Amino acid sequence: MSHGSTKLNKNDISSEIDLHVNEVTVAYNNGHVALFDTTFDLGAGTICALVGVNGSGKSTLFKTIMGFLTPTRGSVTIGGKPVQVAQKQNMVAYIPQAEDVDWAFPVSVMDVVLMGRYGYMNFLRIPRATDLEIAIESLRRVNMLDYKERQIGELSGGQKKRVFLARALAQRGRIVLLDEPFSGVDVQTEAAIIELLRELRADEHLILVSTHDLGLVPSFCDQVVIINRTVLAAGPTHDTFTQENLARAFGGTLRDLRIDHTDAPDGTSNEFRVLSDDEEPLIFGHDGRLVDHWHPGIDEEESK
Amino acid sequence: MNLSYLIEPFQYRFMVEAMLMAALVGGTCAVLSCYLVLKGWSLMGDAVSHAVLPGIVLAYIVGAPLAVGAFLAGLLCASGTGWITNHSRLKGDAVMGVVFTGLFALGLVMFTKVTTDVHLNHILFGSLLGIERSDMLQAVIAATLTLVILAVVRKDILLYLFDANQARAVGLNTTFLHYLFLALLSLTIVAALQAVGIILTVAMLIVPGCIGLLLSDRFGRMTAIASGAAIFSAIAGTYLSYFLNGETGACIVLTQAIILTLAALFGPKYGILFRARAARRAAAGREQ
Amino acid sequence: MIELLLTPLHYEYMIKAIVVSGVIGGVCGLLSCFVTLKGWSLMGDALSHAIVPGVAVAYLVGLPFALGAFASGLLAAVVMGVVKSKTRIREDAVIGIVFTTFFAAGVLMISLFPSNISLKTIVLGNILGIADSDIIQMLAISAVALLVLVLKWKDLLLFAFDPNQAQSIGLNTTRLNLMLLILLAATAVAALQAVGAVLVIAMLVTPGATAYQLTDRFGRMMLLACGMGIVTSMLGAYISYFLNGSTGGCIVCLQTLVFLMAFFFAPKYGIVAARRKARRTTDALLISGDAHPVPALRGL
Repeated sequence: MSHGSTKLNKNDISSEIDLHVNEVTVAYNNGHVALFDTTFDLGAGTICALVGVNGSGKSTLFKTIMGFLTPTRGSVTIGGKPVQVAQKQNMVAYIPQAEDVDWAFPVSVMDVVLMGRYGYMNFLRIPRATDLEIAIESLRRVNMLDYKERQIGELSGGQKKRVFLARALAQRGRIVLLDEPFSGVDVQTEAAIIELLRELRADEHLILVSTHDLGLVPSFCDQVVIINRTVLAAGPTHDTFTQENLARAFGGTLRDLRIDHTDAPDGTSNEFRVLSDDEEPLIFGHDGRLVDHWHPGIDEEESK
Repeated sequence: MNLSYLIEPFQYRFMVEAMLMAALVGGTCAVLSCYLVLKGWSLMGDAVSHAVLPGIVLAYIVGAPLAVGAFLAGLLCASGTGWITNHSRLKGDAVMGVVFTGLFALGLVMFTKVTTDVHLNHILFGSLLGIERSDMLQAVIAATLTLVILAVVRKDILLYLFDANQARAVGLNTTFLHYLFLALLSLTIVAALQAVGIILTVAMLIVPGCIGLLLSDRFGRMTAIASGAAIFSAIAGTYLSYFLNGETGACIVLTQAIILTLAALFGPKYGILFRARAARRAAAGREQ
Repeated sequence: MIELLLTPLHYEYMIKAIVVSGVIGGVCGLLSCFVTLKGWSLMGDALSHAIVPGVAVAYLVGLPFALGAFASGLLAAVVMGVVKSKTRIREDAVIGIVFTTFFAAGVLMISLFPSNISLKTIVLGNILGIADSDIIQMLAISAVALLVLVLKWKDLLLFAFDPNQAQSIGLNTTRLNLMLLILLAATAVAALQAVGAVLVIAMLVTPGATAYQLTDRFGRMMLLACGMGIVTSMLGAYISYFLNGSTGGCIVCLQTLVFLMAFFFAPKYGIVAARRKARRTTDALLISGDAHPVPALRGL
């Protein structure tokens, strides 16, 4: 499998794939400043959640990291190189939101996965044996090999997601960007995606997930960046994903339930609060820190 | 009705030339139409084919090949539309409407001030049967160039149309691809103008792609079907126009429209009749 | 000099052309506000081409041209609706297919049955040589369209902005949709004589697009677009006297010119103003302490 990623040697990966967002400001042509003075660093072997309300600049930040938007000030570097250079080396893989894809497009599952290999192919993009092998291997890894000749619109929501995950795997990108990966996905696929992301993390990838499923974040992300037109907080999940920071980022948009066991016999305060955006709830103890959260799906999935 | 009557058109050199020309132009347009239809850019073909007019007039004034002027004006329309859309609060379709009509109007005004031997009627409606050698040569060059370049970059452009972010992520230069595609579109339109004229070029840039889309789920097959249908329509339309004694371009487009109607009705998977039957079967199945 | 500038006004046909252009320009201007906001530009383009076979048939059998044009425009709209709902083809492609097919049918008909209409007149318009009976048809169409717009513009505005809301307060959205479509077809028919099939779309988009760059209020937008339609159309017709032809070309060139001015120099949404705004906002955000809500974020 290793001969596909000739350009990267496993030993120098960790030094090469840190993402460095430095004082980035992005203004659109209509004069709207979507993001200003945004700064954070992330390193290899990390799953980081990018959290914020709609219009907080999440997708602007994604597009900037992808090099689709050029910052009016500041810079984004990947392994010390500008985004464009990093992309030429196939370092950034991207998994689009389901709404952004035209599912009637006449391409098969295999075609889509091979699109991840374009950067390695020759000028005419004719797949070599290696490319085909890697594409098949990637499909097998997401359990979609049986569907490889299907037209993409004929798949279920979860299957579609897995195909794009396979494309990212086939690309061998060391940084993987996922845009709302859990929207419109069944619980089983959700668990499968998280499991795959964990494997990628163990393999020294850097994974950046934009999501509004707050309750899921603590279960698989070790870093969190909370933004609202700039970075409000960034750091390890346990320190950053606090009630206070989330309240600042989301204001009144979350449901806030306070559950207080005043009848507790030993007199200790067992008060905890539940923050929910109507997906999975987020539960805080009395110190404003996270209470042990549930791990969705994984256990049931494995027991099958 | 005897056979010699039916093969009569093939005995005239100008008829055979017209058929070959129409087939070449129609086939090239058909390949591009697949991309346009998938991207939702049907209006783009419409806009660019009108916008070439001032380029043609200007090229005539300075004595350059008309194709060069048309090509540049087409590019100006496409890139100008993109730029204005990005910098204003207007919807893209409105901007395109403003830009291409503005250019077309400019072309008309310029036209009235220049005495040319270019006939406005020929630009608007084409003149397949009376096409000149030099024009034919230009069209052949433009069409061949387009097909060769497309053959080389077709996978990149397909990826760009399907998922621009991914195209960028694998290191493709999407801005370059965007303008390359628009350039190819302008080039094709230049070739087609001589044959069928501005307005019917628009049809040839939409209809074959739709035929392909109705009959196939794979891009390669879709392109093959589209160009096959277009080439057949080109030859059949020209042939029919000989007997009807009507506009050749219009006959070609109407033949395409008939094929499209047949595909929409009887297509094996997406045809209206097939779907109706499938729905009936499903309903019957549920009742049992 | 003044003598020269006044010459066009000595001719009755010029005065007629200027007045008729102004009326049509005004009505198209009003309608263009709905077309730009609703994203119906392609629809306008399509209808103006799709009426060509109707015009051909009307001339052949000796009916008023407006009647044939109108009928064929509506037929095209119906065909589009059917094809869109029954196939997997995108809406823009459906519109493109239908109008080019209609146009091709018109071209074929005219070439098969030569009569006293030329295709060139239909496609490019010829208001300088317009017959009195045609003027009456155009003015009648304009008057009806204007009346409907004045009476129902608020309903149409709600329909363009939020069809669901329109439905929920009990408006018949199907009827409103049809009304807008009929208005579009009717004005396309009227404008056909003035500027020709190809440039009708400019009259139905450019004034609205220009006004949208200039204002945020719909009432004001309608006034601006209508005014711009009237002035550019009259002026264009007047100028075409000196250019010896192509009235449509002159009108649309003027409209595009006005649009470009608005695009660059509009006080709020112009490109110059937007640049200034982006610079100011960035500076303001960076100067206020707001920019550093979390002091030390580096080296996580």
